[in-house]
Amino acid sequence: MTTQQPLTQIEKIHVVLVEDDMDYQNAFVAAVVASGDLVLAGLASTRAEGLRLLKGPPADVLVVDLGLPDGSGIDVIRAALNAWPDCGVMVSTVFGDEAHVMTSIEAGAAGYLLKDSDPKNMMDEIRSLNAGGSPISPLIARKVLMRFRQSTPPRPSANADARGETAQLSAREKEVLDLITKGFTADEIAGLMQVSRHTVLTFVRRIYSKLKVTSKAEAIYEARNQGLLAD
Amino acid sequence: MKRAIKACWRTSRALGAAGLLFAAMAAWGEDGQAAHLIRAEVLAVDCDTSGAPPSEVDSRHLQGEWTTVELPDAPLPRSLSKVNASLNNGCMARTLWYRLRLPDLPLQHGPLVLYAARIKVDGPVAVYGDGHRLHQAQIQGALWNSSRVPLWVVLDDALEADHTPPRELLIRMAHSPRSPVALTSLWIGEATALRWRYELRLWFQTELPAMCGAAFLAVGLFSLFVWNRRRHETRYLMFFILSVTSYLRGLHFYVGVPIGQDMFGWLTVNSLFWLIVTVHFFQLELHGRKQPRVTNVLVGIAAAMAVLTLPELSMLPNTTGVRPLIYLFAMLMGISVSVAGAIGSWHRSRTGMLLAVGVGICTLLGADDWLLQNNFIHQEGWYLGAYTNLVTFSIFSYIMYRRYVDAIDEVERSNASLEQRLMQREADLDESYQRLRLVEQRETLSQERQRLMQDMHDGLGSSLRTALWAVEKGQADETVIAEVLKACIDDLKLTIDSMEPVDADLLLLLAALRYRLGSRLENSGIALRWEVQDVPALDWLDPRNALHILRILQEAFTNIIKHTRATEIRVTTDVDGDGVVIAITDNGQGFDLASAMHSGGKGLSNQERRTRAIGGRIRWESSAAGTRLVLWLPQKRAVV
Repeated sequence: MTTQQPLTQIEKIHVVLVEDDMDYQNAFVAAVVASGDLVLAGLASTRAEGLRLLKGPPADVLVVDLGLPDGSGIDVIRAALNAWPDCGVMVSTVFGDEAHVMTSIEAGAAGYLLKDSDPKNMMDEIRSLNAGGSPISPLIARKVLMRFRQSTPPRPSANADARGETAQLSAREKEVLDLITKGFTADEIAGLMQVSRHTVLTFVRRIYSKLKVTSKAEAIYEARNQGLLAD
Repeated sequence: MKRAIKACWRTSRALGAAGLLFAAMAAWGEDGQAAHLIRAEVLAVDCDTSGAPPSEVDSRHLQGEWTTVELPDAPLPRSLSKVNASLNNGCMARTLWYRLRLPDLPLQHGPLVLYAARIKVDGPVAVYGDGHRLHQAQIQGALWNSSRVPLWVVLDDALEADHTPPRELLIRMAHSPRSPVALTSLWIGEATALRWRYELRLWFQTELPAMCGAAFLAVGLFSLFVWNRRRHETRYLMFFILSVTSYLRGLHFYVGVPIGQDMFGWLTVNSLFWLIVTVHFFQLELHGRKQPRVTNVLVGIAAAMAVLTLPELSMLPNTTGVRPLIYLFAMLMGISVSVAGAIGSWHRSRTGMLLAVGVGICTLLGADDWLLQNNFIHQEGWYLGAYTNLVTFSIFSYIMYRRYVDAIDEVERSNASLEQRLMQREADLDESYQRLRLVEQRETLSQERQRLMQDMHDGLGSSLRTALWAVEKGQADETVIAEVLKACIDDLKLTIDSMEPVDADLLLLLAALRYRLGSRLENSGIALRWEVQDVPALDWLDPRNALHILRILQEAFTNIIKHTRATEIRVTTDVDGDGVVIAITDNGQGFDLASAMHSGGKGLSNQERRTRAIGGRIRWESSAAGTRLVLWLPQKRAVV
């Protein structure tokens, strides 16, 4: 599927969009077509259509709007994780606000796409995501930090395996988040930490996947607490 | 009252049952031979100077005329007085001889015993079998408990060599002239046949009353401890005094101390008066009325008695001769207390009535004793006076029990009502809290609406209106319109960001601003030098204040983009005194502040207005080399 080899004409990034807003659909399709290295592999306007698409061949990047006419895009995100495990999922949002983004990341999304970005930025974000990076905003970074602070120290050993070693942020990951909350851009952070911009963005991706694990572990823990799950 | 009577009845029935059981058990003992002696010959020797009973007596040699009497023999005091009057006044002692013929008793089991319910006499008593002295008692005179303790003499020593019982029994009873004398019928026979009679008498005449008295005293001590902690409840003290006086009073029923003119006699006799007086005070406490006359008379009599019978003063002997008179006083006092108590308690205090009835019963029991002691009634009867103890104890225990149970009920009731009040209060509080919350919510909502309205009126609203007019007039320059709309979206995004809690973190707020506007600066070809450093937390950074700061800085960036042709912007933060400074420096051509203000630039005045609203200070330093906006924010703000 997606390989780390240099992109060739043949190995274009396959993108699927689940979006009910026709104008945005059109703008998105136009941008993809104009990009050259991206190709639209599928288009859906409802949750049902989106789920149906997941039965087809996997795409590299899936862009999902949360407010679909027949249900929540979160369902599509969750289904995509199972159907297309190697696909990068992005939630498409106007404001990139915490409510949309955090929920999506916890459901398994790897990033988000601001709807008012210009076409060039939008395609850059998709490429970056496909390359293993993830976008983040200061407010989201702070939320993530808080989430990990809440879940440390780790809860008793009962669900230590469920949480695993990935449940904790590494010092560098934490440093990245701290710098982001102070307003530094990925480029500046790369300079400060003497790594590449791409590395910084892969840190973010890793943080997101830990967050997903953490919230899953917390959900299991809560479920056990409430007797919904047997030990 | 009914309950109390029932309880009393139950108690007495239980005691009676115990007695019967005891008697039955005794009677079940092996049957034996016994004879009931109900006839005797009596000989009175006035002015007997012989003193102590001799060891051998031949009844045929006694001087005087024997007369036959039916047993029990108990001459009335009056007849005694007559006898005495006819005697020489110098006579200090008189001796009565009783002679009884004994029937043939073939002995099979155990020893031969003589049993009599009572020998009442204040001098020495001696029993002779065929002329030999077999038993003597009261050598020093009567004991306090003498008239209660039955006679039980083992006659085995009197048995002849051929094991035949004596043929003749002689009883010698010496007494002072005025004291009452009595001899009940006698039983002679095998111990197995007679023991139960003896034990039953002993149990009901001395042992049971003694036990009751001790029990009463124990409860009295408990009551004293209660009073010690609750001094205002004098009842408990009175209960204690009652138990003590009652115990002292009872002592002479079962203490084998010689009757004499001593402190023991004084104490036991007088305690009866104290008992009556204490009951009276208790009665007053129960019905809550004052009866000063009754009280004065009772206390007066008790005090007079106490003084007059003092052994040291010897004004009035507290011994045999005067006692009948003393007890008459006591009975009168008992009746007075009962009647006064009944009058006081009428329709006022049920326990008071109960006590009045109890005092009446006790007086009757005392009267029985008095009549028995002075030979007015059948001598084989029982002394019941000792049971006043039981009656008073039962009644006072009932009173205390009622008080205890009532107190518990009261506590339970008050607890229940307290709980109810508490629940009511909780409900009230909950309701008022809900109301308060509702009010608060409305307040918050209304404030929030005002805040957003104000913000949109100045920003989003006016921008959209401008764009709309331009489009309507057909002067729509696409790039201008796009700019306006982009600005509108930025406005909205910042509004949303301002609602995120930033936890007093100014840098986070600045970061959010940069995140939103960074790309616009970049697109305008302006480099941003982000040189922030950590600053103290600003506790007052709530959404409203956060939005003010965001708008002030947004305006600054917009101005730079629109008006300055700058290529670089520097953003710095710093600590300055008791505040924080944000500085935005550009390298544009600068502007004249006065004319900018004057030319109706709404932006600058809005920045000033918002700065005032958050208690900060703003200033511009503009030169040809660029403009520097300095926003000072206080670290602490008084809560508005």
